Amino acid sequence: MDLSPAFPRRPIFLAVVAYCAVLLAGCSAVFVAPYDETTDRLLTELAQKTETAVVQADAGQLSTEDRQKFYSESLGTVRTLKARAGLFAKNEDELRALGVLEKHYERLQEHGGAPRTSLTTGLRGTLTDLQQIEIAKKRSSAFSSGLKKTSSTSTP
Amino acid sequence: MSINVSQLIQSMLGAATGAAKGHGADLKNYLEARARLIAEGVAAIASDRLEGKINDDDVRFAFDEIKESEKSAAAAVSVTVKAAAQDAVNAALNVAASAINSAIGIAIL
Repeated sequence: MDLSPAFPRRPIFLAVVAYCAVLLAGCSAVFVAPYDETTDRLLTELAQKTETAVVQADAGQLSTEDRQKFYSESLGTVRTLKARAGLFAKNEDELRALGVLEKHYERLQEHGGAPRTSLTTGLRGTLTDLQQIEIAKKRSSAFSSGLKKTSSTSTP
Repeated sequence: MSINVSQLIQSMLGAATGAAKGHGADLKNYLEARARLIAEGVAAIASDRLEGKINDDDVRFAFDEIKESEKSAAAAVSVTVKAAAQDAVNAALNVAASAINSAIGIAIL
């Protein structure tokens, strides 16, 4: 192979750049599942329903019947969320957190008594954890959309 | 047009750092809110026990539940760190793609 100074360097440079371009094309890192608006909404509604039940329990205004309804509906929502989360790849952390949440509701129901603030700190902590997961996914999703817009408008 | 490698590295680093910053602020807010929630919960456990609204078994149950919730806290931190890394890597790749497009004069990426 002739590597003399007369060897055409620009075609080689263009070939290397084109090769890198092929490697990079459509190549973006994906470490977490995409943001899902339905999951976020269901989770927010569940957190709101739980906080309402806790306020009622603290005030002694949550009847046994209301308490059972609260646990049944909450468990139904968590199991729906688990089923939905399982449909997305790279969603193991969220599935693990939802499993913890399900256990919280089950143990509180088994333990009996009203879901007072003092008894639900663990449960409410896990709800906060899941909301943080949605915030992180939402921020990442917005960032990715921004990058796509930038790359489609900034190139010559 | 050739690519200035050291300048490209600086641009990629700047983009990656900027992309991760928002997640860092979110993580700080989340950890503060989480710590406040536990502190208020622990205060409520003590207060309810002193007032006789809950018994010793309830206190043990409540504290075990707080310990269990640390598993989901770890999951939340994990997702936030992964999302920050994802955005940082993609921001750097975006800068690299723009550099290639500029170098060859064609928007192929």
